[in-house]
Amino acid sequence: MGSGRVLRLVHLYPELLNLYGDSGNILVLRRRMEWRGITCEVEEVHTSDHPSFVDADIAFVGGGSDREQRIVCDYLLEVRGELAAFVEDGGVVGAVCGGYQLLGHSYLMGDEEVRGLSLVDLYTDRGTPRLIGNIAVESRISPQPIVGFENHGGRTHLGVGVEPMGKVLHGFGNDGKTGEEGCLYKNVVGTYVHGPLLPKNPGVADYLIARALERRYGAAELEPLDDAAELAANKVMCDRLMAQEPEG
Amino acid sequence: MRLISAAATGLGRLVHWGLTKVLHRNASQLPGRIALALDPQLIAHLRERTGKGSIVVCGTNGKTTTNNVIAASLEASGMRVLCNRAGANMVAGVASALLLSGAADWAVLEADELSTIHILPQLRPTYLVLLNLFRDQLDRAGEIDHVQDTIVAALAASPSTTLVTCGDDPLSMGVAVRAAQAGIRVLTFGMGEDLGLAPDRVPEARFCQACGTELRYEYRSYAQLGKFSCPNCGFAHPELDFVATAVAVDREGVSFDFSRPGEGTRRIHADFGGVYMAYNLLAAAAAASLAGVDAAHFQQALDGYHPANGRLQRFDVDRREVVLNLAKNPTGFNQNLSLLLADDRPKAAFLVVNDNYNDGRDISWIWDVDFERLTGGEGMCRVIAGGHRANDVQVRLKYAGIEARIADSVGEALCQVGDLPAECPLYVLTNYSALWSAKDELESLGEHHG
Repeated sequence: MGSGRVLRLVHLYPELLNLYGDSGNILVLRRRMEWRGITCEVEEVHTSDHPSFVDADIAFVGGGSDREQRIVCDYLLEVRGELAAFVEDGGVVGAVCGGYQLLGHSYLMGDEEVRGLSLVDLYTDRGTPRLIGNIAVESRISPQPIVGFENHGGRTHLGVGVEPMGKVLHGFGNDGKTGEEGCLYKNVVGTYVHGPLLPKNPGVADYLIARALERRYGAAELEPLDDAAELAANKVMCDRLMAQEPEG
Repeated sequence: MRLISAAATGLGRLVHWGLTKVLHRNASQLPGRIALALDPQLIAHLRERTGKGSIVVCGTNGKTTTNNVIAASLEASGMRVLCNRAGANMVAGVASALLLSGAADWAVLEADELSTIHILPQLRPTYLVLLNLFRDQLDRAGEIDHVQDTIVAALAASPSTTLVTCGDDPLSMGVAVRAAQAGIRVLTFGMGEDLGLAPDRVPEARFCQACGTELRYEYRSYAQLGKFSCPNCGFAHPELDFVATAVAVDREGVSFDFSRPGEGTRRIHADFGGVYMAYNLLAAAAAASLAGVDAAHFQQALDGYHPANGRLQRFDVDRREVVLNLAKNPTGFNQNLSLLLADDRPKAAFLVVNDNYNDGRDISWIWDVDFERLTGGEGMCRVIAGGHRANDVQVRLKYAGIEARIADSVGEALCQVGDLPAECPLYVLTNYSALWSAKDELESLGEHHG
């Protein structure tokens, strides 16, 4: 098993959206495929490129400053139709932080409403204060709570029927009120758990890989890996957060 | 001095006396905090104590060393200097340093970038040295744009200050251009040549500060520092006022020719540091020369400068050399890895990452550090992870292809390298809050040798 399988990973604008160690997510996807004998072809899309999603299996979009997020949004609006077709066809999308906001109908940059990609029925406005801190989320896509860090001024509101990625166990999540974090739509995962989302949450990484394999090859068995280090890092942070008073 | 300032100063000194003599506590912040509560204008009134002027040093990496070298060189020239040497660089730390000192010729003060807005308008320093800007502690400081805005506003409120900054750094030059537009005099320092080093993997500031076009580089020194220009607008590396050429960086330290157009060239040498240190020393030499320090006194200060603050401090523990250094953000860490890899001996490393408030609680940045470079050569014998986030460091290293164990302390890390020959040094790289416990431990375990 494993021989000959190839997945193509499109990393959108890494030079713009790389605020919080986003390259770690790509590295983790690549290694976890390679360790299973799956070839991972990473295509970095730069500002001078015209991205194509026709042969893509996974698209990944990270987080950046407001200014950089705006530049990326303008580029992606030009290929919105193709990206939407990819999503509707079950293409896998991982979108983190600013990238998560781009999935929706709109977000705010200062007081200006910026049109988003409308790939998922959600929109983002702002609130004060910024929601900053460690976060833990219970989610059906990961056997362990998803742990990481969030830092966002935006408050994201899901449309009726859009499933959140999970339930906030510690931290703020989409808007600091509903107790919901992120979104799941077809094979799209959007979340405020930023930067190295995948290293400490190998279940999420494997979820993305499995969905892509399923779509490309019809079967999604993944050989188990030795995740002792990853799960220990996950547990240390989980235990710490569960022992603390809730934030906010 | 106004009565209220005199009272605030007296109270601050009393608090300092109580803390240090009665309670035997560190007193670098509280005296200033209490005195400022009584007299918020205190810094403005204490500025009168410096006869010749003041120099404030800020920038993401290298503040403490640069600041202390400038102070030492002024002292070597016979000046009386007031300085916050311990690195307490928020407004309370600066106020403490000012109120505890007697009259001085120069105040030389390091300041946290975001604190400049509280310090500059009152102190109105002769020079502000801005070393560099890198992403650091995004959860606390916010994005770099915000740091830049703050420094520009601080300068605008202190129009008599001259900005001395790194012409090789587009982010610092972004501040300089805006400061110049506000009428601030700007002088720049930088490398006058290509150092021929490999670029970091995740560069910052690839885009023009003025128009957003991707910058072009003739060469890079490290991170985003180099000879840059925007192909679209006029934003570019400036004609430098203070230049380093014939730069030599190796395990023995750094040396370069320092020149100021219209004046002679002189060789500067220090037996510590890497490329980033060449920039720090160049900045220090520029500020010192502006303050009237001559070449001989500057070199004399460097010869006598032995970092004792955990920055590149060397210890001897049971005949094993242990090198302690601060590494608190991706650029700082990458520079440390360069330094470590320039050591041609077999060696081990203990990488310690804490996530206290003053470290920044978000450690996502460890994924931007090029740990992959440690797998390149033969010389890296062992890597050990430590700190509150040891498990995260271990995972990061795993994905870089490095199997690392975890140690709870420097002592335990030394035990884990006990089977390696004594000639194999241990590099201990820690972020901010982990530095002090590592330093204390090493001071009790071994002998400090400069």
